[in-house]
Amino acid sequence: MRLSISHDTTYHYEDQVRNSIQYLRMTPHDSERQQVISWELNLPRPVRAQVDPYGNILHVLTMDEPHESIILGARGQVEIDEQRECEHEDQSPLPFLRTTRLTEADQALREFAQTECASRRDRSCMIDLMNRLNAHIRYQPDVTDVKTSAAEAFASGKGVCQDQTHAFIACARSLGVPARYVSGYLYTDSSDHLASHAWAEAWLDGAWYSFDVTNCLTRAERHLKLAVGLDYLDACPVRGMRRGGGVEQMHAHVEVSPTRVQVQQQ
Amino acid sequence: MLSRTASDLYWMSRYLERAENLARMLEVSYSLSLMPQDGRGNGLEELALPLLITGTLDEYLERHGPLHAERMLHFFALDANNPASIYCCLQAARTNAHAVRGRITADMWENINATWLEVRGIAEQGLGRYGISRFCEWAKERNHLFRGATFGTIMRGDPYRFIRLGTFIERADNTLRLLDARYEMLGEDIDENDGRPARSYYQWTALLRALSSFEAFAEIYRGSPNTRKVAELLLLRAEVPRSLRSCMDELNLMLASLPGENGRPAQRLAAELEARLRYTSINEVLDEGLHGWLTDFILLVRQLGQAIQTSYLEVA
Amino acid sequence: MTRTFYDEMYLANGECRPHYREFARWLADTPDELLAQRRREADLLFHRAGITFTLYGDDQGTERLIPFDIIPRSIPASEWRVVERGCIQRVQALNMFLADLYHDQRIIKAGIIPAEQVLANEGYQLAMQGLNLHRDLYAHISGVDLVRDGDGSYYVLEDNLRTPSGVSYMLEDRKMMMRLFPELFAAQRVLPIDHYPSLLLDTLKSSSPLDNPTVVVLTPGRYNSAYFEHAFLAREMGVELVEGADLFVRDDKVFMRTTAGAKPVDVIYRRLDDAFLDPLAFNPDSMLGVPGLLSTYRSGNVVLANAIGTGVADDKSIYPYVGEMIRFYLDEEPILKNVPTFQCRKAVELQHVLANLEHLVVKETQGSGGYGMLVGPAASKAEIENFRARLIARPEAYIAQPTLCLSTCPTFVENGIAPRHIDLRPFVLSGKDTRVVPGGLTRVALREGSLVVNSSQGGGTKDTWVVED
Repeated sequence: MRLSISHDTTYHYEDQVRNSIQYLRMTPHDSERQQVISWELNLPRPVRAQVDPYGNILHVLTMDEPHESIILGARGQVEIDEQRECEHEDQSPLPFLRTTRLTEADQALREFAQTECASRRDRSCMIDLMNRLNAHIRYQPDVTDVKTSAAEAFASGKGVCQDQTHAFIACARSLGVPARYVSGYLYTDSSDHLASHAWAEAWLDGAWYSFDVTNCLTRAERHLKLAVGLDYLDACPVRGMRRGGGVEQMHAHVEVSPTRVQVQQQ
Repeated sequence: MLSRTASDLYWMSRYLERAENLARMLEVSYSLSLMPQDGRGNGLEELALPLLITGTLDEYLERHGPLHAERMLHFFALDANNPASIYCCLQAARTNAHAVRGRITADMWENINATWLEVRGIAEQGLGRYGISRFCEWAKERNHLFRGATFGTIMRGDPYRFIRLGTFIERADNTLRLLDARYEMLGEDIDENDGRPARSYYQWTALLRALSSFEAFAEIYRGSPNTRKVAELLLLRAEVPRSLRSCMDELNLMLASLPGENGRPAQRLAAELEARLRYTSINEVLDEGLHGWLTDFILLVRQLGQAIQTSYLEVA
Repeated sequence: MTRTFYDEMYLANGECRPHYREFARWLADTPDELLAQRRREADLLFHRAGITFTLYGDDQGTERLIPFDIIPRSIPASEWRVVERGCIQRVQALNMFLADLYHDQRIIKAGIIPAEQVLANEGYQLAMQGLNLHRDLYAHISGVDLVRDGDGSYYVLEDNLRTPSGVSYMLEDRKMMMRLFPELFAAQRVLPIDHYPSLLLDTLKSSSPLDNPTVVVLTPGRYNSAYFEHAFLAREMGVELVEGADLFVRDDKVFMRTTAGAKPVDVIYRRLDDAFLDPLAFNPDSMLGVPGLLSTYRSGNVVLANAIGTGVADDKSIYPYVGEMIRFYLDEEPILKNVPTFQCRKAVELQHVLANLEHLVVKETQGSGGYGMLVGPAASKAEIENFRARLIARPEAYIAQPTLCLSTCPTFVENGIAPRHIDLRPFVLSGKDTRVVPGGLTRVALREGSLVVNSSQGGGTKDTWVVED
């Protein structure tokens, strides 16, 4: 399937921002599962692309002149191989056993994982874990925020894809299975869920397998991968700091739609 | 030099100068409050003037109720909870100095540290027991010592320049405010036969003494002080060290000698103000209306302070 | 159990060791009253100069004086040369280990260190993988903590490759001794150490490929426990002491905010932990770091000394492998011994540890400063049981070692002079060459019988002499 993405994010500030800096992970790269046909970022200033520690494409946008708004645009087309089950990688998965504040498994999460999997460490056990977590942390927007940890979301039983993903990662790592956070886009027919999405990957049998806890999907067939990391903070599309500016208002407009190849070739 | 370091040096000297100016303000009001008041109250109004000038009168009224001599004096001089008190200014100066200990000489540091230790001792005794005039004298003297230590020991580099900038921005503002307040209190000059020359004489004299300019006045004008002469002396005479003109000369000189391109806005404004004072006569000032002129200039000095802040000192 | 301690000054028969004879003679000749007066003078001078540290967990942020003892710790030069070679060998191997780990990982492939132990380690930084550093140097400034066992042989207790501190006390202690007792230095040749700041600057400059790089010292700020040292070193080197807010990143370069505008920075001697360096890459709540620093560092446009990710090499769980590293990278036998270490993550060793808790020292692999530590012989039953529970819950987080005897050195205490336990931290600088100034920081446990020398736990310091024999 070929996905066509158009994503515009606008930040408006109450006061003038004197300067700002953003780490942007808004550019997908080729992998076994996806092939980038075209991609273009529209940033306020030209920025050189780098590769971050996780292999993601990173743009660091520094703005020195006072500004009242920032507009970030991304659009392009990516071919997704719907049939692919997993992805291979040269890098060792072991660093993804490390825990972070957001993905630390507390007693409750450890017991939850242990109860579900006992001595099993295979894909079917991870699928069970995913399904159970989906039931335990019900999808509900606006009850958690970017600072909510896996343990907090698990305790409250509510959250969004980010929280569900963190909880899954925490469980997997507590079982000794390397797991990581993925941020990207999801194509869906319904408008219930945001097109910007997060899911998890776990390292099983020498490859990364996807687990979309929010949608109980074991294959990332409608998922476009932007970035991976230990948790949300590593992989999120925009992470920035600014001096001045006061209250921020963010508007995001994302469109993800399947494209028929023939149309493109005309 | 790091902007943060420059900022600490600049604010150290601003707070020290402010402490001294507050002491001068307090001294003149206290001495005038002891004068016969021509049936115009009991001197409390005069004692409240320093609070009015520094914009802390409302806070005083809120916290301590009606005007009360002892409470007002304490509030103004030694109250650790009044951030505008002399005590707090000395504390702030010492905190800034502590942050840049490596950048000022040992003589300067020991001096400012000793001042802080002493004022804490005085605060423990209370102003009543220590004596108000004695306290004002002490505050001035400590500043004289610090200035002497600074002048005599620190290298003539950028640190020195930022220390001077702080001193003269603060002093320019203070001279303008003191003149304005005294002028407001006195009103327009009155005919000499009005029967109240004595009052205006004492008021102007006290102001001149507060700004250590009485001798200069006597030497230049030789007569009794009036609005025109006092204003000319304190605003436009380059040879009087606490006059606005002197302050602007010094600010202009210091700014012009700082390296870098980033200070252009501040340098330009200082040069403009300096030129304006140099080529203005007292007649033009009075024609415009003294109060209006002073109010405008207070704003300009504030703008200059702001420009120095943004050009050189801003960290985060 | 009888324990024999090695005393630095006296032989077992009470006779003075040769390299202490001059000092012993002087001590005997100097009236007690004069000594007492000089000791008071030293306290006063330290106070006045503000040579203090701040205690963690103390809400008041109270500045404390580290007790200074006027009886020096003296090492004969011939003995020192061995220690020096040993430290250099060790730090060279550790730097080679880091370069290998962050590139080809030959040592893992060779099966010498288990992959999981390094790659899943908190100190391992993915951000360093594949990054090329000038001269392949990671730990530019290292501290090697040494102790001596009953027979006097030196053991390495731990390596400090992140932001080792204490060098300012080493320098100030010497200045103080020379000021109080100049006659001692006339009587024998004590090797000088006061060129350390210039060696440090030299090392920092040589960490950059640029000809004359701009160097700064980055401090967490005035409230950090080692702030005095940060200010001291910046002043001695004649470079700026900056806080995070003084620096900023623009277009992949680091600048400092100065009164003459933005000035480029090339080398940052950072006294700030990895986690706080860049709030956009690590701890997002850190107000101490510089947003964008990591990406600039990875682009090679600024040098951090020490590099990010050195913590993986001084982690206590990696410590047992340092001897193997020396053999693997240098093809040499280690000059300095490691303390035998039980890795509690291994079931067999854990069992041994649990059975012998009252004889062992148990340490957290991630801990430092003597906080997460059990000294078996000195611990109460309750403390031992508490640690037993912690060990069973998370065995991988602990190692255990036999309790070393730790040498003693005569020290002024309340009732005159008595032996107290000491350690030694030489500072190793790695640049174009690897160098150590003679001596280091000697810390002394002032409580009778105590083996904990950390200043946060009531330890003091002594001047450390290397004397020509």
